[in-house]
Order: sequence, then C-alpha cells, then structure tokens
Amino acid sequence: MIKITNLEKFYRTEEVETIALNKLSMHVNTGEFVAIMGPSGCGKSTLLNILGMLDDPDEGSYVFNEIEVAHFNERKRADLRKHNIGFVFQSFNLIDELTVFENVELPLIYTGVPTAERVKRVEEVLDKMQIMHRRNHYPQQLSGGQQQRVAIARAVVNKPKLILADEPTGNLDSSNGNDVMELLTDLNEQGTTIIMVTHSEHDARYSHRIIRLLDGQTVMENIMV
Amino acid sequence: MLKNYFKTAWRSFWKHRATGFINIAGLSVGMASAVFIFIWVQNEYGFDKSQLDSQQIYRIKDYLSIDKSTTWVWESSPYSLGEEAKRQIPEVEALTRVQVVTYQPLYFNINGEFFPETTAAYVDNAWFDVFKNDFLSGNAIAFKQNPFSIILSESKAKKYFANQDAIGKIIRIDSVDYQVQAVVKDAPANSSFKFGVFIPVAARHADVKQKENELQWGNFNYLTFLKLKPGTDIKKTSVKLQNILDKHRDQKNLKIGLIKLTDMHFENDLQDSGIIHGDKKVVLIFVILGVLLLVIACINYVNLTTARASLRAKEVSIKKIVGAGRRQLFAQFIAESALISILALVLTIFIISIFLPVFNSFTERNFSLSANSSNLWLIMIGTLLVTVILNSIYPALLLSSFKPLNTFRGTSVLKMNDSMLRKGLVVLQFTFSIFLIVGVITIYRQLSFIRSQNPGYNRAQTMSFSVPWKTMHQLNDAKRKAVKSTIKQSLLQQAPIQAVSLIGLRSIQNNDNYSSGSADWDGRPKGFDPAISYFSVDRDYSKLVKLNFIVGRWFLDGKSDVHNAILNETAAKELNLHKPYIGQRFVSDGDTGVVIGMVKDFNYRTMHDKIGPVVFKNKNTEYNTNYLLKVAPNKQAEAIKAVEAIWKQNFPGLPFNYSFLDQEFDKIYRNDAKSSRLMSVFALVAVVISCLGLFGLAAFTAEQRGKEIGIRKVLGATVSGIVSLISVDFIVLVIVALVLASPLAWWLMNIWLQNFVYRVEMQWWVFLLAGIIAVLIAFLTISFQAIKAALANPVKSLRSE
Repeated sequence: MIKITNLEKFYRTEEVETIALNKLSMHVNTGEFVAIMGPSGCGKSTLLNILGMLDDPDEGSYVFNEIEVAHFNERKRADLRKHNIGFVFQSFNLIDELTVFENVELPLIYTGVPTAERVKRVEEVLDKMQIMHRRNHYPQQLSGGQQQRVAIARAVVNKPKLILADEPTGNLDSSNGNDVMELLTDLNEQGTTIIMVTHSEHDARYSHRIIRLLDGQTVMENIMV
Repeated sequence: MLKNYFKTAWRSFWKHRATGFINIAGLSVGMASAVFIFIWVQNEYGFDKSQLDSQQIYRIKDYLSIDKSTTWVWESSPYSLGEEAKRQIPEVEALTRVQVVTYQPLYFNINGEFFPETTAAYVDNAWFDVFKNDFLSGNAIAFKQNPFSIILSESKAKKYFANQDAIGKIIRIDSVDYQVQAVVKDAPANSSFKFGVFIPVAARHADVKQKENELQWGNFNYLTFLKLKPGTDIKKTSVKLQNILDKHRDQKNLKIGLIKLTDMHFENDLQDSGIIHGDKKVVLIFVILGVLLLVIACINYVNLTTARASLRAKEVSIKKIVGAGRRQLFAQFIAESALISILALVLTIFIISIFLPVFNSFTERNFSLSANSSNLWLIMIGTLLVTVILNSIYPALLLSSFKPLNTFRGTSVLKMNDSMLRKGLVVLQFTFSIFLIVGVITIYRQLSFIRSQNPGYNRAQTMSFSVPWKTMHQLNDAKRKAVKSTIKQSLLQQAPIQAVSLIGLRSIQNNDNYSSGSADWDGRPKGFDPAISYFSVDRDYSKLVKLNFIVGRWFLDGKSDVHNAILNETAAKELNLHKPYIGQRFVSDGDTGVVIGMVKDFNYRTMHDKIGPVVFKNKNTEYNTNYLLKVAPNKQAEAIKAVEAIWKQNFPGLPFNYSFLDQEFDKIYRNDAKSSRLMSVFALVAVVISCLGLFGLAAFTAEQRGKEIGIRKVLGATVSGIVSLISVDFIVLVIVALVLASPLAWWLMNIWLQNFVYRVEMQWWVFLLAGIIAVLIAFLTISFQAIKAALANPVKSLRSE
C-alpha cells in the first residue's frame, strides 16, 4: 500500500537547517498494523504528516496505492486524503463548537455524502464505538476516553483504507488507553491498515511490526509474533 | 452544506458573542448611516424622473445679460410667451405654467381662523394634464371651470379639515371664497413640485388690473413647461421661442434656453428659485461619506475576525485534515460574515425605523419604510451585499489559507503583514474620525464667528411686521400715507416700543433685491450698470438699527431729503464716485438728488456673499409697507400684544404676523446650521464605530498577552505600567491617524470655508484639539480593557498555559 524511498525533509529557519527525515525508506502492506517508535525529534511526526499527505517531502518518492504522490499539489493531496485516510490524534482534536454527531459527520459532508446516508453511517459508527448515547453532547462534556472514541469514529466513518494514529493513548489513563488499542485492533482485523506513532512499548505490542527511528532514519524493525 | 455553514457560523458567533455584538453594533450603525445617505442620494439623482413623459418635458430659462461680466439667470418667463408658443410652435404638444407663491404666505381663512400657507402655487388649466397627480377625491374638471377653486394635497386636506371630507369646503383668501374641488396625493420625495395647494391662474386673472400687468412681456412671473414631441430639436425650439420674445420686447439683452425637467434639480445657475434644488457636489460628498462610514464599520469586522484567527486555526486545520477543501472553508467564512451582516441588517432596519422621522424632518423629504418602497429595499440589499463583500473576502482568504501543519506544530499562524494590515485599517478609521472632528470644530467656529461678527447694525430686540399690501393698494396715495403715518404714531405711543421705522423691505437681513441700470452719477462710464441694492427707508431707520456713519448725515425730517441718497462704503468705492462724496449728484430711477452721507458697510446679506453697493432712499413709496420696531428689553410679550391691538383696529379680520430679526437671522443660516449638525452626527457615528473596533481589539490584545501580563505582574509591574503597555501601541496608531488626517482636513475645510466671503482662518490648535479628543476617547476605550487585564490575578493566566 505504501512505499517510500529515500525520503528527505528539511526544516529551515533563517540560521539553522534541521534534517527531519534523512533518506528514509520503508513500506507498509495493506492490512498491516505498524507502530513507529523513537525518541522525541527523531522525525516520527514528520513522517506521519507526509504519510497523511498533510506535508510534502523535499526529496524522494512516496507511492500510495501505486500512485506517486510526492509532488502532488495541495488540492490533489486533499482529495486523495479525504477518501483514503483517517486520523487519530493524541489530543483528540475535536471541534468544540460541534456536537459528537456533527464532529463525526464532518468528513462525510466534505466528501459530499447525502444527508440520509450521512445520518445512517454516523449512527452506525457511533453505535459501534458505544458512544451513541452521547451523540448530542459537546466534546467538553465528555471524558478523555469518550472523546478519543469520538475521534476514532470520525476517523473511520468514511471507511478509509488507512488510519494514521499519533500517540492515540497519550492523553488517556491506562484503562481507557487499552480500550482505544482494542478498538484499533478490531479495525485492523476488519481490514484497515494502521500506522501508529507511539512512545509506549505497551501499545506497540498491539502492532504487527515496529519501526524504530533515530535522527530521521530507520534504525531497526521488529516483527511481532 | 449551507445549513452546516450557518450552524457553525451561529455557534461560533454565540461562543464569541461579546465580539459578535461589537461587530453587529458597529456594522448596523454604519449600515444605517449609509442607508440613510444612499436613500437621500438616490432620491436626489431620481428627481422628477418618475414623472410621466419626463424626457419630453422642458422648462424655459432666461439669460439676462446685465453687463459684460454679469448675466442673470431666471427660471421664470412671461405668461404671454407661453400663450404664443402654444399657438406658433407645432412641436409643442402641451404647455403649462405655474407661479409659485414664495414672497409671502397666503393667509387661509377657514371659519374665521387664519393659517399662513407657504406651499401654494397658481397653475394654469393644463397643469394636471401635463403633470401626473393621483386624485384621491374630486377631479380637475371643476377646478378648470371655476377660477375660485382649490385642490389640496392629502396632508393639507388633513391639516385643514381633519377627517372631514374636504371636497366642497370653503377657504377664504383675502376677501374671496375658494372652494375645494379635489384632493391629490402628496408629491413624492423626488418631485420638484411639492405644492400643497393648487389655485387656478384664472383666479389671479379675475383681477383685471393684475391680469393686464401679468400679460405684459416684461413681466417674468411664470415657470413655463413645454411638453415637446419626441425627437424634437431643442435648439430649434429655443430659437423659435427667442424669435417670439424678441418680437415683443424692445431690448434684445435676453437669451432663451430650455432645460429638461429631469435636469432641473441640479440647475445651479439660477438667481432665485421657487422650487427645491440640489447640489451635485454635495451629493458626491455624501456618497463618499456613506461609503466611508460603511467601510470603517466593515473594518471592525475584518479586524476583529482576523485578530481572532488564531483561535479558529485549530478548527480550520481539523476540517482540512478530515477533508475540507479551501473553497469549502472559504464559503464557510463567507457564510459567517453573511450571518453577522444579516443580523446587523435587522438591527439596521430597526435603527432606520426609529430615526426615519428625524431623517425626514432633517432632509425635508417624505421617505417611508413601507414594504412597497422598492428603492429603499434595493438600497438595503445593496448595502448588505457590499458589507458582506467588504467583510468577508479578506478574513475568508486568510482563515482558509491556514496550513494544518503549522497550527499543530505551534508556529505562529499570523504573519507579520497581517497585523500591519490591521494597524493600517485602524489608522484609516481614525483618520476619517479625526477628519470629521476637525470638520465639526471648523464649522462650529465659522458659525459662531457669523453669530458674533458685528454685522454693522443692531438686530437685538427688533421686531417687524407688514401691513396688508392689497388693502393698502386699494387706497389712493394720500389716504395710504395717512393710514401708515397713523399706525406709526400709535405704535410710538406704546410703552414697550422705543422706536419705529417704515421701510420698503421686510428687514435689513438677507436682502437680495437689487437692480441694475437705473442709476447715474458724475463720472459714470457709459455701459457701466452695476447691480445696486436699494433700501427704501425713513428718517428713523438709522437710529433704530444703529448704522455707523463715516461721513455726512442721515435723512432729515420733512421733504428736503426725498431725492437725496446715502451710500455704503462699497457703493462709493465700486461706483468710482468722485470725492468728496458728499454733495455728488446721484440719480436713481430718474430721481435726481445728491449724496448726503456714507455709512460703514454692514452685512445686509449672508456671510456667504460679498457686501455690494447699497443706496438708501427716503421716499415714502407705496412699497413702504413694513414696520421695524425696537422693543424695550424684556417687553417682547407686551410689545406683541400692543402691536396686535393696533393691527386689529386698522385691519380687522386680517391675519397678524410678525417676526424678530434674531429669528430671521437664524433662518438665513439654517443650511449652515444643518451642515454643522450633520457633520456632528457623522463624526459621532465614525468615532463610535472606530471605538467599538478599538475596544474589541484591545480586549483581544489583553487576552492574547495574558501570560505576558501575568509574568510582568509576578515580576513586580504596576497596574499603571501594564495599562500603558497595552495602550501605547493603540495610541501611536491614533497619532499616526492625526498626522494623516490633518493635511486632508486642512485642505477640505478650507474649500468649505471658501463658501463664505467672511470667514475664520484654519488654526493649528484645531488639529491639536481634534487630536487630543481622539486620543482621549481612544485611551478611555482601551483603558477599560487594559485595566481589566492589569487587575486580573496573574495566577490564573499563568496556570491556564
């Protein structure tokens, strides 16, 4: 599904140039659950942003579903993104002004799904995430675990092929964190490819494979048994 | 999708409702001002255009050349010219004439009660055929058949007969009974003919002497309107009219022209007019003012929205990540601005409905806020659209341009040039406000200058009234003089009255009667016929108004001085009279005498006009029908009572009317006083809007710098230190605005002052004062937020980080 080769990304300020990704190559197969680990500043987030097509690389190739996307313009990337990729963040990133239902509905609105179909799909996914009873609440009224479940619901409502999760349990206690990991595992078992950035060895154990990064390069790959 | 836009827009508005209400309040005040201005402007441009066949109707206009450099332009022409034109010029489809009653009101006597009527016009029989009037009851047929008829406008019918049917009612004017034949709808706001009372010309012509007089070719008494066949060559028609006129007049110094009905409103070369005119320059100024008020109101929205952009950054980023395109986000922010603007429009309509009566009385028009006044709604919708566009484009572009990554990574969302732009906009607002403040101060100074300026005569405690000309006119000369003298004697016997003078003009102020060509003196070059104002006075006049003599004396008792003349300084100078002035031969109207005195110049016209040559004569003519009375201090009420008693003795059954020179004086400067009030209103609106914006921005700054303020406080900063920390940036902007506004205000206010021949000079301290006012207002606005921020507990702002 994903194949990146010699990917490079620099950050420049007026005085300093930082190399975030240094000729990084990796691949992820369809249906895989991959964890990316590494110390702060190793390039995990940069990699995730590029994989999520939120950012473009300076050098190298990124093939997504057999399409070279490294030099797509913003609109093309946005188009590809909204149909194929779901995001889950550490800080949930729900919109405070929208209810649970409306937050989950948002991706469907932007992909132009008709209203009746939207309601059906949102209800379905809220049900699955066991958050249906909170559908008319606002994010501030929910616990962290509930918020993350809403965020996951939003990530999957469009039935993406790939979910990118950026430390999804980082803001949760261990019990809620485990719930979230179970949910991701379920999704993976149903066929969704998952790439997760994490600091937690515990969470990483839910994945099939761990890619460890240091200074923008792959240093090790562990296949989980 | 649209529903979703508005839903988010509403929630985002509600969440930041303080900012939201600042936005709406500022916008609606700006929009209401703009709508009012545009209603008026639209009306000015639309004058007489709704009149049926308006493109075919023309009015005769005359250019009378006085000397090489002076041409007098009149709107009226001889009644007979119309008669002949109708007969001789085939392209004249229809023709109608009107004489507007301007000099003195008609006195309506309705069941013994008198009402002065100032909106009357004498119209000929074709008037209602040429100009469309909506008859509410009755018709024009009886009006045409019976000379002593009256047609009333709806509001006049209501005024005189309340809820009764006006048709058939009798109104007595002088000693003749007129019957109301019809009631027509009031003229629309954009009509030049705002007549409330129509009387047939035939009623004037029922008096044989008057008819004879009015049919003379030298008598220019009627506005004559021609309805020409489509495609007529106007120049050829003018020539035909010219030929007719020239055939009947000996002097060939008068050129005829035609002006289109729809161009009449902005006609600006007339000496005098009985109908309302507008000024294109003034209209243009108002268009600019209206647009600027709207712009500065929109600046608030733009500034407050972009200032809060960082707060919206997360939302924008998330939406982008889950699939929103830039176009969709752009549309969302347009929707938000549209929502605010629509809410502001609702408030605008509310404001307009409250202030419409004030606006109507101010503009002396009759606008209404009814559902069917399509122009009004078009203007409102137009204003709304402009507002939405001004409000939305930049914030929408800015907000939708956020890159989600930047936001999550925490780099600054707002670029430097954005906050520069915001500062620039605040400067623009205050430049405009300061300009208006300078304007207000300047106009106020000029008006108080006019008031305090020594006019060269004394107008205090001076009352005037006129004896009825018609009644006097029926007497022979000796009898007339006897009556007038008796009245003067009786007046002088009244304790509250200190002095009495009998004069030919109603007062000393705003005398724009002048004539040319009837004067002669030694050394006058041939063909030099300057316009001279004649004052027909008596021996008591100078004492009463306290004219200042330079040389010579005033008229003496008896007959000795009836042919002599007294001049003002300007007359002596401009006529190039030989020195010594006293004793020089002076002829006026064939009456030869000598100059016996010269007085200092006095302002017998407005301060807009230059003082011209004035000649006083002491001939007690039949036109001397006006009494000027000096009233003892604090005896006004008694004086009025005493005069009225004398009036009733001499003219029983006739209405008594009087005025005081002070009031007359205020009337002359009514338009200037209006400009001053209008300027004050606009200045207030601009300052309020600008301050609302400043208030919002200061609140935002205080919030944004909460952590900084907290740290400073922990480190020992004082409240005043923090207040000045927040205020100083804004005050600098106001000072920049002062620097920008000053030259602009200097230039434009000087142009305005050019309207006055006698005027104040622009002073540097005016700008300083305007600056201090602006800075003070700005500081008060900001300090509320600054003090709030400074007093906040630093622990809170630091903990929340």
